[in-house]
Amino acid sequence: MIMKVLLVAESREGKLLGNINELLGFAKNLAVETAVFLVGKNDSLPKFSGRLYLAPVEKHLEYNPDGHKALLLEVVEKEHPDLIVFAHSSYGWDLAPRLAFALKVAQISEVVALADDGFVVPACNSKLRRQVKSLSPRTVLTLQAGAFPTVENGASLPEVIPVDTDTAPLVGFAGYEAAAQGGVDLSKASVVVSAGRGIGKPENIAMIAALAQALGGEYGASRPVVDAEWVEHNRQVGTTGQSVAPKLYVACGISGAIQHLAGMKKSEFIVAVNTDRDAPIGEIADVLVVADLKQFVPVMTEKLKAL
Amino acid sequence: MVREFAEAEVAPTAALRDEEERFDRALMFDRLAELGLTGIVFPEEYGGAGADYLSYAIAVEELSRVCASTGVTLSAHLSLCANPIYLFGSEEQKRQFLVPLAQGEKLGAFGLTEPSAGSDAGGTKTTAVKDGNEWILNGTKIFITNAGDAETYVVLARTDKEALKHYGISAFIVEKGTPGFSFGKKEKKMGIRSSPTMELVFENCRIPRGQMLGEEGQGFKIAMKTLDGGRIGIASQALGIAQGALEAAVNYAKDRKQFDTPIARFQGVQFQLADMATQIEAARLLVYSSAYKAGNGLSYSQASAMAKLMASETAMRVSTQAVQILGGYGYTREFPVERMMRDAKITEIYEGTSEVQRLVIGTALTR
Amino acid sequence: MKILVCIKQVPDMESKFKIAGDGKWYDSADLVFRMNEYDEYAVEQAVRLKEQVGSADVTVLSIGGDRVKETMKKALAMGCDRGVHIADNQAWAKDPMVIAGIIAEYAGPESFSCIFTGMQSQDRGSAQTGVLLAEMLGLPCVTTIVDFSYSDGRFTVKRELEGGIKALVNVQGPAVFTCQLGLNTPRYPTLPNIMKAKKKELQSLPVEHLQKIALHQKTERLFFPEKKSGGLVLEGDAADLADRLITILKQKTAVLA
Repeated sequence: MIMKVLLVAESREGKLLGNINELLGFAKNLAVETAVFLVGKNDSLPKFSGRLYLAPVEKHLEYNPDGHKALLLEVVEKEHPDLIVFAHSSYGWDLAPRLAFALKVAQISEVVALADDGFVVPACNSKLRRQVKSLSPRTVLTLQAGAFPTVENGASLPEVIPVDTDTAPLVGFAGYEAAAQGGVDLSKASVVVSAGRGIGKPENIAMIAALAQALGGEYGASRPVVDAEWVEHNRQVGTTGQSVAPKLYVACGISGAIQHLAGMKKSEFIVAVNTDRDAPIGEIADVLVVADLKQFVPVMTEKLKAL
Repeated sequence: MVREFAEAEVAPTAALRDEEERFDRALMFDRLAELGLTGIVFPEEYGGAGADYLSYAIAVEELSRVCASTGVTLSAHLSLCANPIYLFGSEEQKRQFLVPLAQGEKLGAFGLTEPSAGSDAGGTKTTAVKDGNEWILNGTKIFITNAGDAETYVVLARTDKEALKHYGISAFIVEKGTPGFSFGKKEKKMGIRSSPTMELVFENCRIPRGQMLGEEGQGFKIAMKTLDGGRIGIASQALGIAQGALEAAVNYAKDRKQFDTPIARFQGVQFQLADMATQIEAARLLVYSSAYKAGNGLSYSQASAMAKLMASETAMRVSTQAVQILGGYGYTREFPVERMMRDAKITEIYEGTSEVQRLVIGTALTR
Repeated sequence: MKILVCIKQVPDMESKFKIAGDGKWYDSADLVFRMNEYDEYAVEQAVRLKEQVGSADVTVLSIGGDRVKETMKKALAMGCDRGVHIADNQAWAKDPMVIAGIIAEYAGPESFSCIFTGMQSQDRGSAQTGVLLAEMLGLPCVTTIVDFSYSDGRFTVKRELEGGIKALVNVQGPAVFTCQLGLNTPRYPTLPNIMKAKKKELQSLPVEHLQKIALHQKTERLFFPEKKSGGLVLEGDAADLADRLITILKQKTAVLA
């Protein structure tokens, strides 16, 4: 029964960020009409069928929450959306509440699913879920990354409508600073790919590291691999190594000895690659890929790079 | 606060320091000083934190839960060295020696035990002979915790050879670096390997007259009073070891599956864990009760003996049981319980063996 | 300089949670409570700012029942000067708009030069309160800061963005900042400071006079997500397995966004 949604896209260094595709995927199931707002460049626009309100990034910059809020309010005036949807990103959670307050409406953050008459959001470090209902005539939402299916790049081009205001920024944006290259801290990685005894020989560590990189994470190892000095100690995961709880843990050639499990069992999603269907790690893995890692891992890495 | 610090900073290196038999003063003492723990029970005017004995007991327990060596470093420093100076020292001595100890600028140690004077402290053979304005010390002390690294030592020596055993002993404050005061071998121990244990060697060591602590001949009484307080520290250390061992056993039992079931679901294991937890709780109440008495000016000699006796025997039992629950894995150094078991044993021996504690209690009962 | 830091008391996230009788929130019995982790960084930064400026005063504020005073004492032991406890046993049922409104009602007349909050709470996790507070007070706000410096009335901060990139932002005070983990290293309260904190002012204000905004949303229920039943076992040739795994990762995780 949702009539209109307004999706908020983001650009970074002039390029459109991919999370708009998740917002489009969310909207696909609901909206009769979808409009998108973007402060960006007209050579990097989302493809969908509907109206795209575009404000020039050269003038409004990529971090200027007060300016972006003013622009959004203009668009809301024109579109009268029932839902205004952001990604729950560093841009979204910064801007959404400002809009919600200006409109005096509810904001529901980090939505992971729809519920009858409401939305489902995580609570208590994702251990629980909360079903919440908005009491306002329109609602601001932020969506959890990866919670909704993405829409593969559509072919349609939107109708581009320029939008502009002259609101002065209250904060000064002075550019970006690239990520630092430092020593490895597995506990901070959102993805960890670990090598176990199954890798067979030290030369195969390279393929584990490559898979980790393709997934945007770090590589670790189980104890026997570190003891054999194929990997340095600060990459060891387990009781005498580091304890990690990343979003994704991929255990390659690791049987699942209790010392190792103790160091990674709190990971959000666990994939095990092992030739042994009955390896103990299968008990805590979300997915067990029964395969020889020496064949599977390089193929997986290639496919990830091609995405 | 101590628990967070212990888990974040002390725990990660506990196993390694035990393996390397390495004392890390920066971590195991200087950091404690920064947190205000090295003089917990002493008044602010002497550089202490002005807190109560219960806070002290909790601090030692929390440190010992992850590293018994760190727990004893603090306990020996505070109860065995700083405390006698606080209780028996002159204003001048407190200013000169207690303040740096309380503030953690200097580490303290206590020299009582000798090769032939353990439980029989009256058998002290180290001598102190007056010579003008100085005392000359001769003798050897063994098994001294914090020795070598500590700057300040409270040492017991015989000042009157004629007097009956206990009556001719006096206490002295000796500082590292005093000519004639050196260290003997470092002991290779079964447990608390990260805590340094060494011999003190006095060879015509001259110290100023002003460094006698208390009255001449009062030494034995000072030593006994000191040990009364030290017992609370060691009882807390034992409690911490037991608590750490219990937690390790419970966590393991929940994860370890045999016969398709986590072993924590087997009644046999549950009964064992239940007994361990109950005994720890009982010991804890004894420790807190003696801490309360000590901090409120009540007589606490018997209470602290009971606490030390109960806590140390509980620590030995619980840590041994923990190794048993972890089975083969518990026997390896990958898991902390074998270290806890090795650490627990000394708590039944030092600062008054369990036998001596029983004597203290028995004598008090049948007086 | 007047500094405000807003903190929340939350349960330890390692706890085993149980749903409360009415099904709308977790049961607080048998839980160990502590300061919201993000707020520790906020308190530390507030105290550091005070130490830098010298003549500054830090007020720590928290809303909740009597129990939250314990957590406020930790903030006082870390170096805050005074505590303002807004007594409200129903705080758990209120949404960020209401909470921010209560804080704004208190803070408005106080004219703080700098306000710190954690960027989100660990239990509710809405990540809205700090920003809403700023909007209500008409102050600029920068969220998710991982670096902070102050000089002569001007704040220079870095926001943490996805992928480890940071955005450099500067703003003229007064302003509101929401703090991300890793902004600084929160100090352990030393024992002497814990003792001193016992003597610091901690006043309790009833919430009734401060709550002027009505609820904008309501929680229907709190529940446990479906347990993942065993795992999926995939067999086949490498290329096929890789395709299938990539699809699963896209669906079930945020890793391949």
